[in-house]
Amino acid sequence: MNIDLLFEPFQYAFMVRAFVGTGLVAVVAAAIGAFVVLKGLAFMGDAISHTAFTGIALALILGISIYVGALFFAIFTALGVVFLTRISSVKNDTALAILFTGVFALGIALLSGTPGFGGDLNSLLLGSVMAIQVREVYTLAVAAVLLGLVLATFFHRFVLVSFDPVGAEAAGFPVALVQSVLLIMIACAIVISIQAVGVILVVALLITPAATASLLTKNLKTLILLSSAFGLLSSFFGLYISYFFGAPPGATVVLVATVFFGFVLGVQKLRGARSV
Amino acid sequence: MSHGHATELALKIENLTAGYPDNVVLNDVSWQVKKGTLAAIIGPNGGGKSTLLKTAVGLLSPFKYKTMELLGHSPKIGRKRVAYLPQQEEVDWDFPITVLEVVLQGRLVRQGLWGRYTKADYALSDDSLRFFGLEKYRHTQVGSLSGGQRQRVFLARALVQEADLILLDEPSTGLDAKAQHELADLFRILRDQGKTIVAATHDLNCLTECFDHVLALDGSVRASGKPHEVLTEENMVRLFARHFPKIGAAGEVTLHEH
Repeated sequence: MNIDLLFEPFQYAFMVRAFVGTGLVAVVAAAIGAFVVLKGLAFMGDAISHTAFTGIALALILGISIYVGALFFAIFTALGVVFLTRISSVKNDTALAILFTGVFALGIALLSGTPGFGGDLNSLLLGSVMAIQVREVYTLAVAAVLLGLVLATFFHRFVLVSFDPVGAEAAGFPVALVQSVLLIMIACAIVISIQAVGVILVVALLITPAATASLLTKNLKTLILLSSAFGLLSSFFGLYISYFFGAPPGATVVLVATVFFGFVLGVQKLRGARSV
Repeated sequence: MSHGHATELALKIENLTAGYPDNVVLNDVSWQVKKGTLAAIIGPNGGGKSTLLKTAVGLLSPFKYKTMELLGHSPKIGRKRVAYLPQQEEVDWDFPITVLEVVLQGRLVRQGLWGRYTKADYALSDDSLRFFGLEKYRHTQVGSLSGGQRQRVFLARALVQEADLILLDEPSTGLDAKAQHELADLFRILRDQGKTIVAATHDLNCLTECFDHVLALDGSVRASGKPHEVLTEENMVRLFARHFPKIGAAGEVTLHEH
């Protein structure tokens, strides 16, 4: 086997851009995803990504920035859900599912029904990271650094409102505000990851690496570092596999992340079985 | 610092009606707790023990009240020096957080939205951990501790928060007899340091030895005062009677009317 073949993907500028872009969003999504997993917000992540899709569809049709459209819908969804659960004591799983699939369907109908946008539908659903431009990579880098800074600045407060919102609220801590900031962070992480892996699989970028890491450690900082590492490795090997097999990169990235999870879980079960 | 009579109360509630949107739990409740008191709230399930605590710290909005004061201030200001310890099963003990990290959170609550942990914050937390005999568990995940140790972690956080009023919902649930006694001893020590402690409890065993003041609550105030004044047989039968089924002559089981 020719060793050059192994390095072939890196000869192409578009592949290098794809590696950098996917790596950036994978690390950020995996870090923020730790809170999604700990708080059991995977369903919320799914809801956000689906409504963000409709935001992008509308932005495309109206000719405005897709990030603006996606962010608007994503943040609206996140805060809307918080508002709903605060004013009503009922669990809103069903209502939320109806709402977000409805909004998602609207986006699909709008996009496929508007002449000239049918092609965008596919790339939004499955991601289009191979087509990413240099300017977009810079945008992702800036967004990733900003999200990382907010995470570092408010880290202990995010932990507080995730671990003991009741005690914090009782002592007059602004729990709702900090929870909202955290949800906006999750919404942002989803929005910047959509181009890489597409709407359907984006939630996996948030939860799978963090879930894998949570199997390995009981220390939150270690968990976040491990999660980011799994995110980075998944994005790297996923793109690599995608290059050689021609599968959509979003699918291969998520597949690799899932294999990591399955592997770690399997090893743990085997060890557990042996030590019993 | 003292402004006479009013500030000597840790908790002052007058004519409070509260509960959940479709369920009024508390009806016209008035109760006062002096500073430096160890107070217990007793009563049947659904009698409003938790509701009273949660309303006092603002976790539930009251429907109607004349006065609500924490440590002589409006709840908004008073809450900064109030610690609320939820029921054990309401806490996510799997959360990956160490004992030290939980205790440090007492400082966050005082800082609000901005600020970093200072050396003084760490020193205060270490003092508090030592006080509660938890120093060797500093870097242990909080959920791997015993029930009694978990309670002490939250009390350590309350000290670091400089809370003067500590409210606990069923603190002795899940503790063995030894841990319950240790907790009662800690309550007394904290009380002697000037803290006020209010605990909702279903455990009637050590009320007379452990507490200075008892509130008997069943939707409204049934009795309040020193333990021996409240814990009369007549009061207890009245307080809990509706929770004991009556068995009729033909063997039929009926519940007391409210």
